[in-house]
Amino acid sequence: MQRADELGKRAEYLAFTLGSEAYAIEIGSIVEILKPLPITEVPRADPDVVGVMSVRGRLVAVLDLKRRFKLARTFTMDRKSRILLVDAVDEEIGLLVDEVLQVFRLSEAEIEPPTVLGTEQPPHVVGIGRPQGGAVLMLLDLAPLFAE
Amino acid sequence: MGEHSGGRGDSAGDKAREEFFSEAQEIVDGLSRDLLALDEVCRRGGSDAELVNDVFRAVHTLKGLSGLFGAAMMSGLSHELENLLDDLRLGRIELTPQVLDLLFQSVELYGRILSAAKGDGPEPAAEVKALLAALGQVAQQKGGGGGSVVAQYELDPGLLGVLTEYEEHRLRTNLQAGLSLYRMRVQFQLATIDSALDELKAKTRPHGEIITFLPTGEGGDAESVELEILVASREGLSVLGAAVAAPNVSIEEVRRRDAAPSAHDSMRPPRPSASEMPPAPLPSFDLEPGTDDALGMLSEADDYTEGTRTSRPPPPNQTGVPGVHQSVPPAPSAPPVGSGGAQAQREQQQRELTLRSVTQTVRVDIRKLDHLMNIVGELAIVRSAVSRLTERVRLHETLMRGKGGAAGQPHDGELRELATSLTRLHRSFERHLAQMQNGILEVRMVPLGQVFDKLARIVRQISREHDKQVNLVVTGAETEIDKLIVEELSDPLMHMIRNAIDHGIEDRDERMHVQKPAVGTIALNAFQKGNHVVIEVEDDGKGMDPAVILTAALKRGLVTEAEAREMSTKDVLALVFRHGFTTRPSATSLSGRGVGMDIVQTNIAKLGGVVDITSEVGIGTKMTITLPITLAIISVLIVEVAGRTFCMPLASVEEAIVFDESMVRTFDGREVMTQRGATLPIARLSKVFQLEGHRAGVWFNEDAKTPKPPEVRPFAGPNARPKSYVVIATVADRRVGFVVDRLVGQQDIVIKALGRSLKKVRGFAGATELGDQRVGLVIDAAALIAEVLATVPVGEASRLQPAGMSGEVAVVRRSIDAPESGMRGGAERGDVFGGGGGFA
Repeated sequence: MQRADELGKRAEYLAFTLGSEAYAIEIGSIVEILKPLPITEVPRADPDVVGVMSVRGRLVAVLDLKRRFKLARTFTMDRKSRILLVDAVDEEIGLLVDEVLQVFRLSEAEIEPPTVLGTEQPPHVVGIGRPQGGAVLMLLDLAPLFAE
Repeated sequence: MGEHSGGRGDSAGDKAREEFFSEAQEIVDGLSRDLLALDEVCRRGGSDAELVNDVFRAVHTLKGLSGLFGAAMMSGLSHELENLLDDLRLGRIELTPQVLDLLFQSVELYGRILSAAKGDGPEPAAEVKALLAALGQVAQQKGGGGGSVVAQYELDPGLLGVLTEYEEHRLRTNLQAGLSLYRMRVQFQLATIDSALDELKAKTRPHGEIITFLPTGEGGDAESVELEILVASREGLSVLGAAVAAPNVSIEEVRRRDAAPSAHDSMRPPRPSASEMPPAPLPSFDLEPGTDDALGMLSEADDYTEGTRTSRPPPPNQTGVPGVHQSVPPAPSAPPVGSGGAQAQREQQQRELTLRSVTQTVRVDIRKLDHLMNIVGELAIVRSAVSRLTERVRLHETLMRGKGGAAGQPHDGELRELATSLTRLHRSFERHLAQMQNGILEVRMVPLGQVFDKLARIVRQISREHDKQVNLVVTGAETEIDKLIVEELSDPLMHMIRNAIDHGIEDRDERMHVQKPAVGTIALNAFQKGNHVVIEVEDDGKGMDPAVILTAALKRGLVTEAEAREMSTKDVLALVFRHGFTTRPSATSLSGRGVGMDIVQTNIAKLGGVVDITSEVGIGTKMTITLPITLAIISVLIVEVAGRTFCMPLASVEEAIVFDESMVRTFDGREVMTQRGATLPIARLSKVFQLEGHRAGVWFNEDAKTPKPPEVRPFAGPNARPKSYVVIATVADRRVGFVVDRLVGQQDIVIKALGRSLKKVRGFAGATELGDQRVGLVIDAAALIAEVLATVPVGEASRLQPAGMSGEVAVVRRSIDAPESGMRGGAERGDVFGGGGGFA
């Protein structure tokens, strides 16, 4: 996985879908994209925790962003599903997404502030990406998601 | 986790720096031990030149090290300390409790400087400054008293009074260095006194140093004068006597007031009947290096293997001559400081010793051991797979043989041979793997003495702050436990000891009043018990009064009146572990803030252990910690509950029996059964984890091409199950039977911590890979038992429960497409077992 080492005016975002909506996170925070592995549920964990999986001997908790964002109540996984391994506080966490789309290089001009969606936006929404070609991406900052 | 351990190409500088940290830490630890021993000796009114020397040496080494690494604060502190210790060594100042305090403070500060250098906490600049000032003040007072060593000898005070400062210093120095003191009385003819005196000096010089000569005022006449000459010598009376023998000379040894045998004789290396033989004149340094050498190596070994000095004050093996320390308190095995040459040689030797100590042991980052442990764990998984394969081959072979006669398979023999070889190979692999596991485990083991030493220091500090006299008696400091556990133990133990001193031990007057010894005792005992290590903290204080505890708990709303009436003494005592519990109306600087004991229990539980209290009013309190020996590799019983797989640490499994629904009785809403004549509380794991009737725990198969449909197991009530089992788990003296659906088998696993985001989930000690890429959760038996046995009523359970951790929510989120309302319904059920709030 290449990382966005040269963060110039343009930043690279990995776009993925959760249900019918498209999201993107900066590629620098993604360690790896995994095909679904066996995930063991963890009783008593938070509702958005799918469970725990082993990535080459390391235990990784898997979060379902759809549940976190209240887009769905259940887990769905199919052959397009992917787990984004991302750096969180003191650990790596897997984010279950429905489909990985592509990497977009967004210039500042292509990013709208989150306030275009309304004044009260959750802290993890940092903007709206509008790359050429008409896609609309909700840009996420992961830090607030893990900040509890 | 594994990735971090490989050492990501640390630069040489970093490595050296880390070496510096760990070496400095080791020296500081040793320093602390020596100071404690010194403190002990002082309190019994003695002194120990050798220990002072040890301390001096440690500080000296620290000074050198810190100079090397540009740790300015540390080197400044060491420099001043070195001066102080040098004064101490030379008897220029006395070892008073105040001086000891300063030394203890310096140990504390060294620790903080080291932590600060590692980026953990601020540099204690102000404190160091204050300490330096205090050290300066002590230095001001030097020279005055000074006679602590000298005073032990049977010397005429009049004589001491007329010594010049230099002579006094030489006397002290020599005595401190362990030389014997002789008094010669010599008649000199006045006419020849100058030359005769020179002659005597010349005779004496090879054997010792003349401290002073004074006219005695007796035995002389008009022609002659009698001089009393004090000689300090390393040699025996006979040797010295022979050297100076003349009709006009009489010589005797100046004895210590307290000891019959001369320090000199006891200094001899153990050789048969040393006292009868006239000691051969040894070159003065010949003896010293030997002693010193042995000392260096012994204490090296000491540091590594036991660190129990706190428990037996005068370390007998320090001189290399067993028993010497006890019989002659200030065993002066220090080298001659008198001659510059010897000192240089000694320093040279010290340097060599230091170098040697570096090469004899290897310091290893614990993460590297974790990494090795992980690899061994992976190998264990491979072993399990090979085991299964071997089994299959053998089974296959047996089957083939069964019908082999008829079919006449040509490969029959080959297969049998393959099966046999495979079995043999597998056994060998298994054996070596087990050896390797044990080897790595052994390396991770450290003696509990490491943390006990710290505690001894804390006891000293707290008891002084509190003006209570407390004696810490340590046993079993050599008991070994996983390094990681030791690290995590110091805080809980510190809290327990603080509590024992603050709340347990009465003050002096009160103790006298109830006819207890004025000095309180805290016993710190450690021992191994099966797969566990038990640590007891026992005080002989006033004990815990259940009535007082209950009143306090009621006042703070931790229990209701109704609950209070039903609590057993044990339940009441356990209330002290609740968050917010204190019997103090206001907090002291030491304890009473209502945090502390709850932290103790939480921390111990994190390590897979439990804390129990027994207490008797007026007699004392005993807290018992039971811990697993290691966290890394454990044997587990794999069980299945509602389609999910869980691992139960075998260390806490007593046995597993077939479960019979008809054995269950319900008392007070709790299910119990009778097992071997005793009542056994039981808990259905499916209920504890809220797993009933939902899908299997593993969400997807390996390739994820065909998502597994949710496997719903209708739950038709307990009677519908064909067979289930009760796994009886015990930790300390608590037992609970956990009902499971199936026993899958036994396996050695490497337990891994759940990441930060799952740490707060209660009831799991970690997880492990089960071999087919699946993760198995490892049940935290101690926590679950505590949870099941907790007497937390329904209302409180939900109140204590942090948001988002509710087990009830878990029920529903597993149910596919459950309506939102169902979630609420579940939460209101308020099952005692479900919330997980009962255990704190």
